[in-house]
Amino acid sequence: MTVPNEFSTVWWIVFLPLLGFLFQALLGKRLVETLGAKFGRPAAGAIAVAPIGLAFLLGADLTSKLAQLPEHARAAVSTLGPWMSVQGLQVPFELRVDPLSMTMVLIITGIGALIHLYAIGYMAQERDFPRFFTYLNLFVAAMLVLVLGNNLVLTFVGWEGVGVCSYLLIGFWYRDLANSKAANKAFIVNRVGDVGFALGMFWIVHLLSQNRETLAVTGERWLSYDTILAVSPRLLEMFPTALFWISILLFIGAMGKSAQFPLYVWLPDAMAGPTPVSALIHAATMVTSGVYLLNRMSPWIALSPAAMGIIAIVGAVTALVGAAIAFGQTDIKTVLAYSTVSQLGYMFIACGVGAFWAGMFHVITHAFFKALLFLGSGAVIYAMAHQQDMRHYGNLRRYLPITFATMAVGWAAIVGVPFLFSGFWSKEAVLGAAVNQTHGATGAFGLTAGQLAGWVGFAVAAMTAFYMTRMMLLTFGTSEERWRDAVPDHHAEPVHSHEADADHHDVEDVEGFFFSDAEMERASMLEVHEEHHDLDSHHTPREVPWVMWVPLVLLAVGSLGFVGSWLGGANHRLEAWLTGHAPHEAHGPVAHNLLIGISALAFVSGVGLAFWLYGKKTPVWEGMDDKKWNPLQLFARRQFGIDAILSDGTVRLGGIVGAVCFALDRYVVDGVVNGVGVLARSLGGAVRQPQTGYVRTYATLMQYGAVALVAYVVYRLMTGAPQ
Amino acid sequence: MSGFGILTAQIAIPLAGAFALMLVPNQYTKAIQWIAMLFSIASFAASLAILTRFSGGTYQMQMTEAVSWIEPLGIHYRLGIDGISLWLVVLTTFLNIIAVWFSFYVKSRVKTFFVMVMVLLAAMLGVFLSLDLILFYAFFEASLIPMAVMIWVWGGSKRNYAALKFFVYTFGASIFMLLGILTVAALHRNLTGNLTFDLVSIQKSVASGALWAQAPHLQALLFWSFAVAFMVKCPVFPFHTWLPDAHTEAPTAGSVILAGVLLKMGTYGFLRICLPLFPEATVQAALPMTVLAVIGILYGAAVAAMQPDLKRLVAYSSVAHMGFVVLGIFSLNHIGIVGGAYQQLSHGVSTGALFLLIGLLYERIHTRLFADMGGLKAKMPVFAALYLVLMLSSVGLPGLNGFIGEFMATLGAFQSGIEGAYGLNLLLPILAACGVVLAAVYLLWMFLKVFYGPVTNPLLHRLKDLKTHEVVMVGLLLIAAVWGGLYPQTFLAPMDRSLAAARLMATSAPGERPSWADSGVQIAEDGTLFGPSEGPLPEFVIESSSPSTVGVGR
Repeated sequence: MTVPNEFSTVWWIVFLPLLGFLFQALLGKRLVETLGAKFGRPAAGAIAVAPIGLAFLLGADLTSKLAQLPEHARAAVSTLGPWMSVQGLQVPFELRVDPLSMTMVLIITGIGALIHLYAIGYMAQERDFPRFFTYLNLFVAAMLVLVLGNNLVLTFVGWEGVGVCSYLLIGFWYRDLANSKAANKAFIVNRVGDVGFALGMFWIVHLLSQNRETLAVTGERWLSYDTILAVSPRLLEMFPTALFWISILLFIGAMGKSAQFPLYVWLPDAMAGPTPVSALIHAATMVTSGVYLLNRMSPWIALSPAAMGIIAIVGAVTALVGAAIAFGQTDIKTVLAYSTVSQLGYMFIACGVGAFWAGMFHVITHAFFKALLFLGSGAVIYAMAHQQDMRHYGNLRRYLPITFATMAVGWAAIVGVPFLFSGFWSKEAVLGAAVNQTHGATGAFGLTAGQLAGWVGFAVAAMTAFYMTRMMLLTFGTSEERWRDAVPDHHAEPVHSHEADADHHDVEDVEGFFFSDAEMERASMLEVHEEHHDLDSHHTPREVPWVMWVPLVLLAVGSLGFVGSWLGGANHRLEAWLTGHAPHEAHGPVAHNLLIGISALAFVSGVGLAFWLYGKKTPVWEGMDDKKWNPLQLFARRQFGIDAILSDGTVRLGGIVGAVCFALDRYVVDGVVNGVGVLARSLGGAVRQPQTGYVRTYATLMQYGAVALVAYVVYRLMTGAPQ
Repeated sequence: MSGFGILTAQIAIPLAGAFALMLVPNQYTKAIQWIAMLFSIASFAASLAILTRFSGGTYQMQMTEAVSWIEPLGIHYRLGIDGISLWLVVLTTFLNIIAVWFSFYVKSRVKTFFVMVMVLLAAMLGVFLSLDLILFYAFFEASLIPMAVMIWVWGGSKRNYAALKFFVYTFGASIFMLLGILTVAALHRNLTGNLTFDLVSIQKSVASGALWAQAPHLQALLFWSFAVAFMVKCPVFPFHTWLPDAHTEAPTAGSVILAGVLLKMGTYGFLRICLPLFPEATVQAALPMTVLAVIGILYGAAVAAMQPDLKRLVAYSSVAHMGFVVLGIFSLNHIGIVGGAYQQLSHGVSTGALFLLIGLLYERIHTRLFADMGGLKAKMPVFAALYLVLMLSSVGLPGLNGFIGEFMATLGAFQSGIEGAYGLNLLLPILAACGVVLAAVYLLWMFLKVFYGPVTNPLLHRLKDLKTHEVVMVGLLLIAAVWGGLYPQTFLAPMDRSLAAARLMATSAPGERPSWADSGVQIAEDGTLFGPSEGPLPEFVIESSSPSTVGVGR
């Protein structure tokens, strides 16, 4: 079947950000230097936004074209050529245009463009401005490859590509080693998941190539989605073991990228990156790629009830742990990071109960409100001289009205204010599907695993309402302006690079590798010392510039209830769009209206408790003195020791193993080699000559030996009679 | 077969270069440098000429040459090239240009240095092009001498120890190979009454099953006599300890060539000699070899993570990366073998590049210890960017060359493992896959310690970024790394048939094995053999590269 070439333009969705990346990498710095920081940075920023915006328009165009096709024909593949092609394995460069990929494209490019715009303002004082947008454009390109690629290997290219960009952006401020260490942690933990992903792919190749007749596989494109999706009706329950393991292995990949328990430990540390990065990569797009993968592979995963049960339970545990840790955090971005972990848990609950589309629904609404909350927190941080500790905030609604109003919308969406905000709709869809799961893997208390996860989800909803309200009250609420009474003990250390300068220069520099004294002098004269001041008691926060608040307002509009009701209301638009068939009204054990009631109860109890505790004034235990903290929140603040056990434990264990191997190598493996050498030398002790230790002597000796040996064998060869 | 041809020219050009250099008086340093460069470029041009003549549609030896040499002993000068050796030849001449270019920094005994580089180049090319076992052995050993001299004369503080260890260790192991060669030739003579060291003839009698039918018990012994030589060269755990010492002490050009090419002589030996000549023994050895490969992957990574010295770290990473080559080859699965062969090329480019980058840094600050570094990114952003990309290619990032080989090698090992073929099991590829996590651990920490954080060493404070010609030098390798990652088809397509044949030579039953001597016999897309009697050969078709759009139903 040939589909009109109109879908070939999908390649430009990937190429545009890639061209933007190349421009920033090769010419961005020169552009900023030529035009000067004041005009050059916005210009470079504008050039970085443009390709993302264009890709969005292209994506919208393709989506509308796709929507005009009949439901069963809404999938097209555009092939560019072979990538890896040998006997037994064909992996072409191919992109897939279908409802799932285009939905992701619209989120990535739409929200991506807004965040790029915001970053022009947020990063305006940054010396390495073009480098930031280099990474950001590359990230968008990789993310688009991830969702558009028509085979698992291309998805994997994007998968690791976004991982690298995330690594580079977390460690963007590399002069502080803590940031670089957080970056390393993110990449390495993600790689653990990636091993699962790779093994899952290997198993699929095995399953399809070994059963190609049974499954009627044509060609050798084992890992292409059209092959994978085409065989899914024939898989049925023929290969339960293989299907279980493939599902679990791919899920392990998803756990790494989407920060599921216990592989979530990298995400809170990832907040070391600039805030636009946290919004784009670590909230709206990259961390949802695990949900995308499960959606993409859903026809296979759904065939393994055991795997589904595990996914739902892991999702529930993640939601619960993330929310519980958020109770005790004092850093505004860390609260949002754990809330992201928790919300990602919801998406996996949805996948685990078979409501994959509901997982995507929550991806969409979450992308808006969490990007909004992060960018809002970035605006607060920007206004508060890069102080991120909420214990120095308070009463900011007076100074940052737009930020406050838009963040309040984000808050209302995440806590699930009924009907009026988008988060309510997607959370209802997820939890409704979970508690009404009719058959699935056995859980406990007479419930299926999915139902159990659903009820945990409602409890988490109440917890979310509490900790998000706490965050808002600590930041914007009360009349305390806490930065006024406490001078922060944290001062950002300026980099005293000149201290390191040596007085004298004793290395002779014939090749011209070093700057001379005069050149160093000139460079330090030219260096612009950019203004940087710390938060002090006289600080008056000011509302952020328009490039920053305009994206906030647009995202706030996207977080309103009409988005949720349009996508997931009575018309079930999103479900029909993603699944390709009209939704069947499911009637489970829990009635729809009852669920809304439970949601409202969760919302009211969480918000009420928070207002009771934090509404008037901040409780004493939330101060700077750890000893006054209430033990439960302190325990939560320290993440219940999970990160300490997992990360530090692994690092320590790895250190021991490494040291053992190192010693083994030095004293045993190499010891034997040197021992043989010493032995040979002492055996030849009668002859004084060889002990000189010169290569020449040994070489000569060995040559003599070899020649004698060869001569003997040759002699036998020549004289020995053929049998 | 005919007399001398283009392959001889390929080997003769660097030798001619060495002679030309000897004629130039010592003090004309510039002339010496540019003559070496000229001959390096000529050598690369020759390999490109070979490339254009090469056909990927056959597994047979191409451009073969045979000249009588030591007639009474049946030793001939025989050269030939196929898909297994093709890219190694190109890689060798390519890396040689880079190594020579960098060696413009060499200040002492310039002439001798470049003579050694040229002799080394000729010897390495000879290894990849020889079809006579004695000739192969001669080149194999000949490559040792210039390399050992390079370490010994231009090396670091412990150069005597390193050069001696390198020489004695690898030479000692090769003795076993020589004995193996002689015995195999003797067995072949027993069978045919004809004393020859011709790889093609001997393999023909192996393919029919006749050779080993007369002495089945000897096959495993002889396999290991070759395998030991190759395992030391690769190096495979536990025969690797000469490598870190040799690398650390060698001058930069030596390290680049050592990592880029010399190690591949070991894995090439497996593909060229072990698989075709010792089929049953290869199958039996699949499990132990794979076990050693996996140990090498994990152990090399663990030890690499503990190194305080940049070069030692990259040297141990070579142990891990070459483990993937051995893993792929001994998976005896076509995808795995292709992956292993591809990983040879990738490792040559990315590890060669890392050694080059370390050399560029060492020329400036005369240290390789992490303790003396930190914060370099602020001082040398271009250097940092180049280093980053090539480090990521070593990490195996998809889109760069390192991924392709590791992915296919592990995929192949997984297929053999899950099927329980050749005595392999699933645990081995799973452990190997975990090795990629460790690769990220030590390489990312290396990058962090060198480039991130504040500048603490006063020496670094005045550093300028790379010079333009240095950027070009590294840039060439970077282009190769990106090309190899984005369009591996360039390299995979010509290798495919020869590697399929090598696999079938080892895994098929006697009598069904392909033989280089059966001219006209081909391997079909599905891996079956068909002879010239079955009609004209089909064109070797790889997937159409023209852009097309196909739709699929859901």
